[in-house]
Amino acid sequence: MGFSVTELYKKYGDKVVVDHLSFRMDEPGVYALLGTNGAGKTTSIRMILNMLAKDGGTVEWNGGPLTLRTCNVGYLAEERGLYPKNTLMDQLMYFAALRGVSKDEAKKRIAYWAKRLEAEEYLYPKQEGRKPVKPKKADQLSKGNQQKIQLMMALLSDPELLILDEPLSGLDPVNTDLFKSIIHEEIDKGKYLIMSSHQMATIEEFCTDLTILNRSKTVLQGNLAEIKKSYGRINLFVKAEQDLKALIEAAGVTILTSVGFSYQCRVTGEAQANELLKTLVAQGITLIAFELREPSLHEIFVEKVGEVHEES
Amino acid sequence: MKNPELRGIGTVFRYTVQQHYKTRSVIIFLVILFLLAVASMPVMLLLSGRQKEVTETQIASVYLRNETGYAFNPDAVHADARYAGVTIIETAEDDEALTQRVMNEETAAAAVLSTGTDKASVFRSAAAANKNTAASVGEQKQFTIRTYYGEDGSVTGADAETLNRVLEEALHQSLLESLDITEEQEITVNSAAVAQVAKVSEYQSGTEESNLDTHAAVNMAYSYLLLILCAMSIGYVTQSCMEEKVSKLVESLMVSVSPVALLAGKLLAVAMFIFLGFGLVGAGLCISYQIAGHLGGFSFLKPLLEEIMPFRLTALHFSGSTVVLLVICMLLAFAISMGLSGISGSCVSKTEDMQSASFLNMFFLMGGYLGGVFAPLAESDAVNLFCSLFPVTSPFCAFPNYTCGKIGLPVFLLALVIQAATAVLLVRMAGRVYKMMLLYRGSVPKPAQILRMLKEERAAAKAAAGKEAPYGKQ
Repeated sequence: MGFSVTELYKKYGDKVVVDHLSFRMDEPGVYALLGTNGAGKTTSIRMILNMLAKDGGTVEWNGGPLTLRTCNVGYLAEERGLYPKNTLMDQLMYFAALRGVSKDEAKKRIAYWAKRLEAEEYLYPKQEGRKPVKPKKADQLSKGNQQKIQLMMALLSDPELLILDEPLSGLDPVNTDLFKSIIHEEIDKGKYLIMSSHQMATIEEFCTDLTILNRSKTVLQGNLAEIKKSYGRINLFVKAEQDLKALIEAAGVTILTSVGFSYQCRVTGEAQANELLKTLVAQGITLIAFELREPSLHEIFVEKVGEVHEES
Repeated sequence: MKNPELRGIGTVFRYTVQQHYKTRSVIIFLVILFLLAVASMPVMLLLSGRQKEVTETQIASVYLRNETGYAFNPDAVHADARYAGVTIIETAEDDEALTQRVMNEETAAAAVLSTGTDKASVFRSAAAANKNTAASVGEQKQFTIRTYYGEDGSVTGADAETLNRVLEEALHQSLLESLDITEEQEITVNSAAVAQVAKVSEYQSGTEESNLDTHAAVNMAYSYLLLILCAMSIGYVTQSCMEEKVSKLVESLMVSVSPVALLAGKLLAVAMFIFLGFGLVGAGLCISYQIAGHLGGFSFLKPLLEEIMPFRLTALHFSGSTVVLLVICMLLAFAISMGLSGISGSCVSKTEDMQSASFLNMFFLMGGYLGGVFAPLAESDAVNLFCSLFPVTSPFCAFPNYTCGKIGLPVFLLALVIQAATAVLLVRMAGRVYKMMLLYRGSVPKPAQILRMLKEERAAAKAAAGKEAPYGKQ
């Protein structure tokens, strides 16, 4: 059972754009595909969905090849759009029909998602005074509202596997929260989700496993909690009311950034941090903050991608 | 649907058609097209100045001045049941006196029969004389019949016009009688002679050859019809192919329907739109014909058709099955044009590139059209054979050549096979290019680039491990 990608490979001419990517999801959850621009995330997704021919590798769903017949896939593409001059309801009904959803069922599902995504006013004609107001066309909607319609299209077939490419880009904070709540809802329903995003904080909120790609190669892969644990608590944040630069450096701690009397530092481990804390207390310094924590996904990403850049 | 690649064609077709006919401008265009077709023949009739013939006349007497120099037989007028009771009064009165008569008598009409010289015949005669031909055509007489009626009387314009036509026929009869010519003699002398040149083998096999005029006219008419049909579709197909790219919907659609099904559904919708347009024009012309018949008969059509179409249907290989073949040939040509438009449309990502992308199709259309128009002028069997079989000119030339007896049935059937194979090849290629180029953004690639990309795509598909084909096809 589950979803797996094995040795996925693609090249254009002599340029390798996806270099033997492999990962698997044995149970429902969220898998994150992260990477710099041009790392090969979208190309990988397109190959997974059979939009692009693979130069190598396999994509399996429940032990067989993943196809439109074998897997009900919902996809929110990074490049989003709608037929500009057609009504939104027509477009949603069209997508539902293409996915084999009956008319009646499609109407029910559209009504549900329209309410859930607060998009009813764009889909159903209203009565304003004596005149009925025609339902809107796609080009009359804002980008965020168009995104809602596209998410509805991806969800209309009640997919088993949902692939979201940059789902939250371009949304205002209110709609970001709305989208997040829907993603949580889908996770709770036991769906398989693959997410690609540049917003590390968002990914961290949802994903259990991840792959970081850089220039077509996998630079880091695994369970997010375990990856973080493997790094240990090496990030230290210190804030005081006076300059601590000399004291921190004397303790052998590396200062990464400093703003005023706030310092973002890297320690070799908990022992070094404890040693620094003792020194500061012994000096009678009033500390506002002293926090030792695991690296964030953002920091891991920057570090991993940076390493590869240095190597190359 | 058994082939998963084709699943969803019906849905795409229905949606495309539905959206197309929801557009107000499309409906307005179709309505205008239909109304123009309906109005065409009655307008021609009105412009020709003819009116519907009356079934019962209000005319009691006709004052007739005969200036032709030939005896006029009034019985020829009385032979028409409507004018059996009309009194024909031959007179030598001048125009003014005749005018007074029709003004004063409520049921009277006046007619003047005169003669002159046909200027065209004088010209032909002079030309013949210059060439020192043995026989001079000679000057031909031209007869004129002018009929008058009173504006305040009970005689209507239609009544007077009907009388005029009856007088025209009666004058003709009178002339035959005056010259002591029977109707049979007249028909025999006026019968057209068709000049034919044939090889002994053609003569022995009984293969008829139509004359050059007919062949050229059939070729031109067919090529023109085909050119309009195909040219109309280019824009629609190109627009249709790039619609998803421009609206950035491609990726969302591709998880729901295969590119081949998407393209096929759209092409079918465009084909339906084009044929519906043609059907509406056809229906409009039928209605127009009925209206024209109701208003004043079809006599105005004959000279017009003779002028624009020097057809002699008897010289054509024309039968019921020819109509079926005509439809098949047009559909094949349309499919080839659609395939080419599909290929060029698939390569377009921006509206401004539409024009340059249509080059391939325009080349095919113009090549075929010019072949269709100029090939008959060569009067060469080899040219006719080549044009019938060469894929670019075959859709335009094979059918007219067969109909005019320029190629035999086996060659014609071979031409149909070639056209069908070309159509299948192009439509399949359009499907592959569409699939390959759906995610392509950039300027329109050259044909050589497209072929190279197709080759690479095929090699990649072969090289892919597992070999699982998209959309479940193994």
